[in-house]
Amino acid sequence: MSDSWTALFVAYSIVWLGLFLFLGYLYLRQRRIDRDIAMLKEEVSKHGK
Amino acid sequence: MMNMKRLGTILLVVSVVLILVTVYLAIFFAPLPQTSVESADQIMSAEVGARLHVAGFVSVVYSRGGNAVLDSPEHVVFSIADFRDYGRFLQANNSNNLDQQWWTVRPIDVDSISGGLRSSTGPSVGYKIIPGANLSVEGVVSSQHIAPNSNVTGFSLDSNSGNDITFGPVGAFGIMTAPVAQKIFYFHMPSAWACYLSFGVTLVGSALFLKTRDQKYDRVAFSSAEIGIVFATIAITTGPVWAKQEWGVYWRWDDMKLVTTFVLWLVYIGYLTLRAAIAEPSTKARVSAVYGILSFITVPMSLLSSRIAPLLQSSHPQVIASSSGGLSPQAGLTVGIAVAAFTFLFITMLIKRVEIAEAEDELEELKRRIGEEE
Repeated sequence: MSDSWTALFVAYSIVWLGLFLFLGYLYLRQRRIDRDIAMLKEEVSKHGK
Repeated sequence: MMNMKRLGTILLVVSVVLILVTVYLAIFFAPLPQTSVESADQIMSAEVGARLHVAGFVSVVYSRGGNAVLDSPEHVVFSIADFRDYGRFLQANNSNNLDQQWWTVRPIDVDSISGGLRSSTGPSVGYKIIPGANLSVEGVVSSQHIAPNSNVTGFSLDSNSGNDITFGPVGAFGIMTAPVAQKIFYFHMPSAWACYLSFGVTLVGSALFLKTRDQKYDRVAFSSAEIGIVFATIAITTGPVWAKQEWGVYWRWDDMKLVTTFVLWLVYIGYLTLRAAIAEPSTKARVSAVYGILSFITVPMSLLSSRIAPLLQSSHPQVIASSSGGLSPQAGLTVGIAVAAFTFLFITMLIKRVEIAEAEDELEELKRRIGEEE
């Protein structure tokens, strides 16, 4: 029985970790790109001046 | 029109709440499963002379005499038992002393066996019983030794030839060996659903891109494929955790459902690899759109592999449109909520991923402009 519960715990952990790590990765990736875009826009506006 | 970012956030909150609700329902509300055509109660209450049809899949096979092969139906007795202590049962069985208090049995004189694997390797034309085989037997109850308040904890199929005796201990037929681990199903199946949905969106996005050459469809197609791989990975990693409990093995290469799902996963990994390998944006979008359409063939292959042909061996439980499975209303509600949660989560992820893809394009454009100015 305990093996069965362990399996359940392992599988649910895989689900939670998999989904929320991926979501976290998406949010971090977007933050980095937004930062790069802001930086480049600033550079472009400086060039423009 | 509602702001997509806001919609994504709302759906994320809703899906997280629904996932938490699913966990609660799966553990405390959904009943322990039975996959038998006839429920254990029906089987246990059958009188002598009653006709029984019991179906399910074999979880574990123990054989005496080296071969898990049954003779033709007329030489087989099917016993439905409350084993309680399987070790002691085996001991008693080996000493032909089965009628004990701590276990009970209701034998059926079997007149038909179907499923399994017809084998020519046995001592006669036999039914080779392998873990995971779908099997059903039909016959008449010939005697009863069922104690009051017994529970069906296992079934056995005994060949009268004496050489080949196949036992399925606790839950080998119809009732699962690891009912607690079965609760993995409430996330395993919705993950698979979300992966099929994702690859469906990839198919539609790819087709629309080829038709319109609009980059936004390409962004939707590859974003969805990326998300689909995440869901597929969850499905094919949680499945083996459950399989180990239920079948005794993590993976079976002779199971069509498992193999076709693995192929699907590889094919879509190939999709992302292909995109990464092509530098020129329009060629990348065009080639991957064609690949995205062609690779969708693996979705029906995986989805239907456990039911399309009797020749395809699969012990994977069938959920939708299955005559041998079926869910109780509570289990149906639980899995329905989980499917809704995963669908919302997929939409959330897709909105976010497409947003990132647009931002990446904008970033590339800015880099190009700066490069030109310099």
